[in-house]
Amino acid sequence: MLKLHTLKIIKQEPVAPGYQRLTLARGIAAQAGQFVQVRASETFDPFLRRPISVHDAAEDRLVLLYRTVGRGTALLAAKKAGETLDLLGPLGSSFPLTDRAQAVVVAGGIGAAPLYYLLRTLKRAGKQVSFFYGARTEAELLLREEYRALATNYSEATDDGSAGSRALVTDLAAPAIASLDATVYACGPSPMLKEVARLADYYGRSCFVSLEAQLACGVGACLGCVVPVRGQEKYRRVCVDGPVFAAGEVFFC
Amino acid sequence: MTVKIAGLSLANPVMPASGCFGYGEEYAPFFDLSRLGAVVVKGTTAEPCAGNPPPRLAETTGGMLNAIGLQNPGAAAAREKIVALQQWSVPVIVNVSGHSAAQYRAVIEVLDDLSALAAYEINISCPNVKAGGMAFGTDPAVVAALVRELRCATKKPLIIKLSPNVTDVTAIARAAAEGGADALSLINTLLGMAIDIERRRPVLANLTGGLSGPAIKPVALRMVWQVTSAVEIPVIGMGGITNARDAIEFLMAGASAVAIGAANFTNPLVCPETVEGIRSYLAENGFASVREIVGLAKKEWQK
Repeated sequence: MLKLHTLKIIKQEPVAPGYQRLTLARGIAAQAGQFVQVRASETFDPFLRRPISVHDAAEDRLVLLYRTVGRGTALLAAKKAGETLDLLGPLGSSFPLTDRAQAVVVAGGIGAAPLYYLLRTLKRAGKQVSFFYGARTEAELLLREEYRALATNYSEATDDGSAGSRALVTDLAAPAIASLDATVYACGPSPMLKEVARLADYYGRSCFVSLEAQLACGVGACLGCVVPVRGQEKYRRVCVDGPVFAAGEVFFC
Repeated sequence: MTVKIAGLSLANPVMPASGCFGYGEEYAPFFDLSRLGAVVVKGTTAEPCAGNPPPRLAETTGGMLNAIGLQNPGAAAAREKIVALQQWSVPVIVNVSGHSAAQYRAVIEVLDDLSALAAYEINISCPNVKAGGMAFGTDPAVVAALVRELRCATKKPLIIKLSPNVTDVTAIARAAAEGGADALSLINTLLGMAIDIERRRPVLANLTGGLSGPAIKPVALRMVWQVTSAVEIPVIGMGGITNARDAIEFLMAGASAVAIGAANFTNPLVCPETVEGIRSYLAENGFASVREIVGLAKKEWQK
């Protein structure tokens, strides 16, 4: 009835060693920040669907950018153009736009994946966007020219200094968060999100972070993917209450 | 396709397993819930329960471990969710959980006046809570006493959900039947664990969790066979069912109905697809009703 789709694969392309971009034939009305639950195998190996963020979407396409980390994503990467993919979505919350004319967007590694669609959405809304792109090394700054093209200001940081500044991306973003009257968005590893959330809180900026979790159902039924709520004895579900949370809601800020 | 369980008349023998289907609302966008034999809602405790800290999940070969820890809004808040399910005119079975007999009774006291509530499934088998839960389900004397006490607390049917984490499941099943249970549900999850070798520590924050998914089906099927040989009351069979063929195995082993758990996560349409698959099997093989295949493998075995 709803949300369960069989989509045709238009393109499956490696963008760096271990990273794939998959283009599907229909956009399923996904918003920036939402994700899909992909069935990687017809069998039960692996048993669960794989949650993958929406990298980009339009009426006639849905794009997923993902890292091949295990058996499920390896099976997904083996699928070819012309085949179909069984997916559930769009699922979860999206990045909200605010009345601020400026945005600071911070990406860490494959956390950049959902931020591409956010950058496009912000640009279309006429926002001035400062984008900070961090990765371990140059090869993991995926699709950097495409990201650069969408940002008003673009900066890179790598752990090894092979591209941009040899710095933490949060150190690079800190002056912008401090000085710009901007909404802050981030997706990446937990320590990075924690630091972005801390900076945003310190300088009084609204901040939205996208979290990752092991999921089972993806629709809010199993309660397997929860995160603690700040200062409360309860949990929220990453799959339906998130993956995008106001940074102040979740535990690590 | 109709079956009778614990005095309930179900339009078909397929229902989602408790804990895998929330209070129904999460799956209502996917299909018409009235296509189910019944809806079995999340384990409900007297007071709201936050559940265990994350990580709560670990995927395993052919299945998954969970340690949710009975997160639920509590019986009072569950009332409106149960009433909301009435719109699908499908029997609602409420899974009742607790840490003491008084807590189980408290849930029944809060919910018993709801006409939408068709039966209780008493969870004496949750492996993920520190006290009660499975501790209740592993001692026949305790099981019989609990069922007897709850029998006095309600006129609604009582379905007792059994743990597979026991040496002899038939002893527990007999105790529940002697206590006055109308039916049994089995199996709950099998206690297990997983270790992350990169982080060099257990995956689940709770250390152990309940194993579900296709990996547990043979164990579940064996227990359904044993229990349906040991007691007269009907059994709802569950554990690793992912399609109609699996469901039919359980029916042939002696289950009067089946529940589908973790497979909902992979295929949100697995329940209605299983209903249709059973219907086709019956038609193609010349059976007039589901009842004709209940325990059929046993009859063949005894020949």
